[in-house]
This record gives sequence, structure tokens and C-alpha cells, in this order.
Amino acid sequence: MRFNRRSRLATVAFGVAEALRRHGIQAVLSGGGCASFYTRGAYLSADLDFILSKPARRAVVDAAMASVGFSREGDRYVHSKVRFYVEFPRGPLAIGGDWQVRPARHRRAGAELLTLSPTDCCRDRLAAFYHWKDRQSLRVAVAVAARHRVRVGVIRHWSEQEGKTREFEEFVREVRKARATGKHRGRI
Amino acid sequence: MQVVSRSSPFGGPTRTRVLLAIRLLGDSYARELARLLEVPLSGAQRALRSLERDGLIAGRAMGRTRLYRLDPRYFAHRELDRYLERLVEPERDLERRAAALRRRPRRAGKPL
Repeated sequence: MRFNRRSRLATVAFGVAEALRRHGIQAVLSGGGCASFYTRGAYLSADLDFILSKPARRAVVDAAMASVGFSREGDRYVHSKVRFYVEFPRGPLAIGGDWQVRPARHRRAGAELLTLSPTDCCRDRLAAFYHWKDRQSLRVAVAVAARHRVRVGVIRHWSEQEGKTREFEEFVREVRKARATGKHRGRI
Repeated sequence: MQVVSRSSPFGGPTRTRVLLAIRLLGDSYARELARLLEVPLSGAQRALRSLERDGLIAGRAMGRTRLYRLDPRYFAHRELDRYLERLVEPERDLERRAAALRRRPRRAGKPL
């Protein structure tokens, strides 16, 4: 797959995931890149964080990334024509204390991309809001929940486990507001 | 000559002691850790970078300083916190040094 300066984040994510898969590597898009994927660019992240499902040799990852034009610079992979860069943070794939995270599968033109589910993407962003008081992450979690079906019971339970019931209530209020005022109507 | 041997379950003595110091202080930065642990600044910076890569600590910019703390989003954060609490118990010298650091606020312009 060839990328250019106008390649969107989702296009790059599918291309990278497919290149990794061809080299026998399974990886899950998480973090800000995943949030950007679900908000269709309403929140734009420059980095694509892929968590490897199993350990992989650096040389194999390098080869997979080189097959789609990315080269390694330190810990990140960059492409001369793509504004996004790719990183492979250490796993496991986990949200706070919960490491039994099941990825969501997306298909496009024969390629497959694994990401966090919308629910887990919300939890991932909320973790930053809960622990770092990062209100930008709250806004992104709200944007994801306003556009997708999320399992509110799962988020509530996890929030309670993290000791963040009040912050969770603020999240619910914000999602209700976003759905009432925006085009993304629904129940939460 | 006194031989001091310390366990370093986190891959190296500096990495382990940086983690213990952050556990004691709550948050810290490379220069403070280098002073506290009496290691070169570059060694403290290297340890912080590798611990951050492993997801055990997280750093964020505060002006020109990068402030680190144990990453509360790490999947084994609670267990790590408890383990470090236990590991730091025999580290009397480190505790004494940490206790000597002035970290409370000081009104701007107040004479020493």
C-alpha cells in the first residue's frame, strides 16, 4: 500500500496493520490514534500506538514497516510523506487494572485492523482524565461515546474499581449534553 | 571497606532506585533524582526513559521540567505500588535523604 501526504489516519492504520499481519505480527491500535479513528478526525492524534499481541523480533517489525515505507527513528517509525508516526508501546493491552481486553475487528478492502472497542477506547481516554485530570481526554471520551454505542455498565463498574465514581458521573453528564445538542443522539 | 549490596529487581540498580525514590516522593524529575541518588544526570535520565517505555512511570511537562510519577494507568499499578512500598522499607538512607529535601511551597520573595 502506498501512502501520500493526504492519507488519512484510518488509511494509514489499515495499511500498517495489514503489513504487520503479512509478516505474522498481530497488533492492536490503541491510545490517541484509536480515539482519532472513532471520532473520524474530530480529535486528531499524530501517533499511531500499536500494542503487539505477542513479542516480535525488532528486525521483523522493521521489515514489515519498511514494506509500507516507514523507517525506524529511535523508538518510532516515520514516513517521509505521512504526517502520522507509528510506535509500539510495551504491552499488555490493558485499561487501568483490567488486562482482559478484547479488541474490535474492522475490515476495509480486504484489510483487517484491530482496535480497542469504543467502550475500551472511552475507558482508555477516561483513565487519563481520572488520573491526570486531563480534560482534553474527557472531551475525546465524550466524542467517542456520542458517536458509538458504548457499554455504560462496563465503564461504570471499571470507574468504581478505579475509585472515580464522581468523575464517571461527569462523563455521563457530558455525553448526555453532547447527544442532546449534537447530531449524535442516543441513550446513555 | 564496607560492601553494600542492594537488590535490583527492576533490571539495574539505578532503575530500581529511581523507582523507589519516585515511590517515596510521589513525583520527581531527573535532576532531583540524580542529586538524591548521587548518580550522574545522564544515568537518571536514561533510567527514567526506560521505565517510561516499560509503562511503569509516566512523565509530563511542567514548564521546562519533565515530572515523573508511577503511572496510575499501568495495569499492575496497585501491585507495583505495594511492592515498592515493601522494597523501600529497608532503604533507611534513601528515606533519610528524601526527608532532607525541601518540597513544601515557599512564598515568592521570602528570604531564606
